Amino acid sequence: MKSLLIKMNVNGVDREVLVDPDDRLLDVLRDELNLKSVKEGCGTGDCGICTVLMDGKPVLSCIIPAFQANNHKIVTLEGLNSDPTMQKIQQSFRKYQAAQCGFCTPAMEVVGWHLLNTEKKVDKNRIKEAISGVLCRCTGYYDIVDAVYEVAQQ
Amino acid sequence: MEQAVFNLSQIEVFQPASLKEALKILNDNRDAEIIANATDLWPRIMNGEVKPKKLVDISGLRSELSYVKREKGVIRIGALTTISELSEHQFVSEKRYRAFNDAIKLFGSPQIRNRATVGGNICAASSSEDLIPVFLAYDAKVKLASVDGERIVSLDKFVVGKRELSKRHNEMMTEVFFEEPDDGYSSVFYKIGRRNTLIINLVNLAVVGKVQDKRVVDIRIAANRVKGKIPERARKTEEFLKGRTLDEETIADAQRVFGEELSLSDDFRASAEYRKQVLKVLLKRGLNVLGV
Amino acid sequence: MKAETVEEFISELQKKAERGELLYIGQDLKRLDDLEKVLGSPVYTNDLLPRNALYARLVLSKYPHALIKGISISKALNYPGVRYVLTYKDVPGLNESSTIIPDRPLFAFDKVRSTGDIVAAVIAEKPTRAKEATELVEVDYEQLPAVFDPLEAMKPDAPKIHENGNIIKHVKVRKGDIEKGFQEADYIIENTFRTQHQDAVALETETAFAVPKDDKVLIIGSMQTPHHVQAAVAKVLGWPIDRVEVIQAVTGGAFGPKSDETPYDVASIAALGALKTGRPVLMSMTREESMKAHTKRHPAIITHKTGVKSNGKLTASKVQIVLDGGAYASLGVLVIVRATFHANGPYDIPNVWNDGYKVYTNNTYTGSFRGFGAPQAIFAAEAQMDEIARKLNIDPLDLRLINMLRPGSRTSTGQLMDESCGLPECVEAVVNASDYRNKRKQYESQNGTVRRGIGIALLHHGNALGPEGNDYAYIHLTVERSGKIHLGTGLTEYGTGAISGLAQIAASVLGVPLDYFVIDRPNTLVHHETGPTVASRVTAIGGNAARDAALKLKQKILPVASKMLECNVDDVVLVDGYAFCKGKEGRNVAWEEIVKEAYDANIELSTLGYYIAPECKWDPETGLGSPYNQYTFGAAIAEVEVDMETGQYRVLNYYVAFDVGKAINPQRVRGQILGGTVQGLGYAMMEELVHKNGYVVNPNLKDYYIPTSLDIPENIQTFIIEKAGSIGPYGAKIVAEPPIVLPAPAVRNALLNAVGSGVNSLPITSEKVLNAIKSSRK
Repeated sequence: MKSLLIKMNVNGVDREVLVDPDDRLLDVLRDELNLKSVKEGCGTGDCGICTVLMDGKPVLSCIIPAFQANNHKIVTLEGLNSDPTMQKIQQSFRKYQAAQCGFCTPAMEVVGWHLLNTEKKVDKNRIKEAISGVLCRCTGYYDIVDAVYEVAQQ
Repeated sequence: MEQAVFNLSQIEVFQPASLKEALKILNDNRDAEIIANATDLWPRIMNGEVKPKKLVDISGLRSELSYVKREKGVIRIGALTTISELSEHQFVSEKRYRAFNDAIKLFGSPQIRNRATVGGNICAASSSEDLIPVFLAYDAKVKLASVDGERIVSLDKFVVGKRELSKRHNEMMTEVFFEEPDDGYSSVFYKIGRRNTLIINLVNLAVVGKVQDKRVVDIRIAANRVKGKIPERARKTEEFLKGRTLDEETIADAQRVFGEELSLSDDFRASAEYRKQVLKVLLKRGLNVLGV
Repeated sequence: MKAETVEEFISELQKKAERGELLYIGQDLKRLDDLEKVLGSPVYTNDLLPRNALYARLVLSKYPHALIKGISISKALNYPGVRYVLTYKDVPGLNESSTIIPDRPLFAFDKVRSTGDIVAAVIAEKPTRAKEATELVEVDYEQLPAVFDPLEAMKPDAPKIHENGNIIKHVKVRKGDIEKGFQEADYIIENTFRTQHQDAVALETETAFAVPKDDKVLIIGSMQTPHHVQAAVAKVLGWPIDRVEVIQAVTGGAFGPKSDETPYDVASIAALGALKTGRPVLMSMTREESMKAHTKRHPAIITHKTGVKSNGKLTASKVQIVLDGGAYASLGVLVIVRATFHANGPYDIPNVWNDGYKVYTNNTYTGSFRGFGAPQAIFAAEAQMDEIARKLNIDPLDLRLINMLRPGSRTSTGQLMDESCGLPECVEAVVNASDYRNKRKQYESQNGTVRRGIGIALLHHGNALGPEGNDYAYIHLTVERSGKIHLGTGLTEYGTGAISGLAQIAASVLGVPLDYFVIDRPNTLVHHETGPTVASRVTAIGGNAARDAALKLKQKILPVASKMLECNVDDVVLVDGYAFCKGKEGRNVAWEEIVKEAYDANIELSTLGYYIAPECKWDPETGLGSPYNQYTFGAAIAEVEVDMETGQYRVLNYYVAFDVGKAINPQRVRGQILGGTVQGLGYAMMEELVHKNGYVVNPNLKDYYIPTSLDIPENIQTFIIEKAGSIGPYGAKIVAEPPIVLPAPAVRNALLNAVGSGVNSLPITSEKVLNAIKSSRK
């Protein structure tokens, strides 16, 4: 029997979930709440593709024990899909063909969205910094940077 | 031989609502480990490197333990202050604290900086924790709290070995603090690895000091490894430099003294010899920063 | 179309009709799978896992070489949450998980040959329970002497890893008279080059789950070649292949290893687990399992001996390549073929003597990975060219201009280059863009702690499979009554967008917009076996099959349209989803109407396209002949800035050109060039899966570094040259692999220019650069 009750607000909805001490936030989001945009790439906090927003800031859900999400606010890509800025980012990703295998795409979009929502003036170097914690193995990053930059210009 | 297998789902988790409660739990549970925001500890638990029977989760104590205070010539940083929060404080933008700024920029990734805490970085106690040499170079001290009260220990007496802290089981590091150097001080921090970010350092170096009319008034030098496997001060090099005129010859001599003081080792990331050469170069650059 | 009047509409149709089959060729059309990807929809293997699934974790060998005296699983079986422990005893069919040479068991049984060998798999309710219980599987080993250096392994008295000795494959090229070539030379230059283990690091690890279905099993997984996985699992189960259904889920990066043997392992283990437990089983490798157990890029030891005249003309090239194959043959048997055929670089050299060896060692095994032997071979060949130029004191560019392949010249295997050899155009493009000549001059006299350098590298890349197998492909096209067109194939999408390119070709042939197309999930029960999705061959080979399928479909559509338009069949034109009659443009019918009419007339709108490339003929004893039907060519120039005191450096500018024959979708060609370049920069500058005495030291992304967004050159310029090849659709040649090849030699040669001494091993770390700086001062 799962032993710990946690309360989270996930994508705007209050949730109560029973978790085990060895459940990660990633597991709860994917397996319990069916938020599959959150991916696992390394399980050790080194690739960034499990990135979600916790209390508004990008964090790595694979190295956050689920019990530490108690009383926190979590947002995943699913929670941003109807946001106008996110939709612009998504359109721009399509335009620049910035999603190749697509596995890093949700995390890239989430960190990109966070950047555009927290900073007014954003140049390409700042975008590179902001996405530097998310690895991509397909694109070489250029198309991703261009896609975010185009939205930043609007 | 049969290994003791550790069932992660059996970990007992305490989530105290106050520091006082946390300290009581720690006092009552000898076998409990403190877990802050877990960026270092959690992966080590998951891969079996650390097998804690009990965890005291202090991540909920932010209202008590997350702060940066600047009062009476002392900078106090609460143990649960995240690296991002530290970076947002105004003090790190000053010349005398540039080492902090440099270290923060090269600290993990943005996501890690949003979670990793100052206290966690210190208590992780390994040579890959970049804030330790920086704090060492500011002669920082840590505050340890327990049900018996508080005590102050200088950082170099606190982090005593790789993954080894000099503290009692019922104590928790709650704060790191240091006296502000006057604004005639300068500082710099270097970190070198195989790529530009998200690296385990091959070497790092923090230099804090004051140079007046080319004379070295004060100097503190710390690196991730000097002799042992943890960050330390390069005391001999500091002694050599103090009071000297900072010219090319002094710097060259200081590099030699520094090279002799260092006792580094090889690993798959780099050879000891390379590390030593680079550290000597970085020392020169650091001294030049101070001299400007 | 933005026509405002009927006249405009008609005139645009007419204009477009003039493009004929090229209607959409060369256009940057979007990919068909991008919406689901930007929305983060659940499409990957692990996203689709049923809720009642069990999870498998691997027990890997504790030693690099040992006999297995016994395996005891009872303690693990009794661990909470554990449902089953698989070992070799559970394999009902053949305990084999191999591509070409049957040398690799799925589960080690008599002995282990590397620390990546799988001994058992624990299946439990939760991944953490499974992992914990792996520690309880007791294996009694008796250690054997091991060998880790491939040169040592080649010696007769080396520990034998398999029965038949340690040399798995020897490939030869013998052209002209090598001794005569050396006698004619004014200089002879000899060097040895070394490369490292590179991990592909697809962000999605190897993963598959299996669901038991009566007397069948369904496997959903991440892979390049589902039909091969199907055959491999059927072999392990001892079943006829049609009882195994394999569906390729959306795959989160592949880069070659997912065409090799590891996808067999995960699928077979999931299948065995599912059949033993009666529940779905997920075998999804952790990053650590993946980095230990899947195939990596072969480390190579390459020696070059080159004869050259003082005027720069190469007279002889003798190359030995020894690939560290690790414990098993894998697709590496073919990797050594490509490496050996490309070993001398893209040069016309009259006398050639190449020996390529793939050798067993007790390191973890190596196999298919983007470039397939070319990155190692071209790094050495292009580094050697700069060493030759240095010896002759001529510019490395000039040395290349003297010797490089052009129309009329011959490769190392004697293959004649025709007009499709666009190497000179590639060189011209990057030399001009980079201002190479001036910068070279400028960098001759530098002082100070920060110095710059500029370097060049060229390549040729034999297209598609060539000597690696029969190069064929099937494409299914099926039109729904609604007009929607399904494109189905056993060829797979894993990121490049190439399958969308197949639809683009079919759309262009049919004159129907791309958004009418739907790409079906590759499914072994639905789609024909169609060869592997490797060697960048989807567009060049699959494209012809797509064209064939579309032409066949068009033959079914045209008579229907002809009737509807009352127009001669030969005069019916299809453009943008409309059919009209030449000369009677005023009247047209939409695609949907034609399709409906065809359905009503009981015409089956389903076709199967097929293509097989002409057989490549070469002599296996001498290598002479034409091992590839056509070649892609490329040139790159890198400009670096070096810290002379620490050896740290960065790539400031990178200029790269590829002759791709015909870019079906230029934006995606560029995407491949950019992505491959950065993966190649990782290979050049930082990536190294370190093995120490057979153990992987850094099986994690904390210590295995791939480039981040902060590691890429600020300025990168790509150029697409189009010299039509002989076999690809519309002259298309392959492009996905070559971009990874050029960064290592280009960066290496730029560093040589900056510091005066070359680094002859990869990756080029700051420590190696500092050592080079010191040696050039001596």
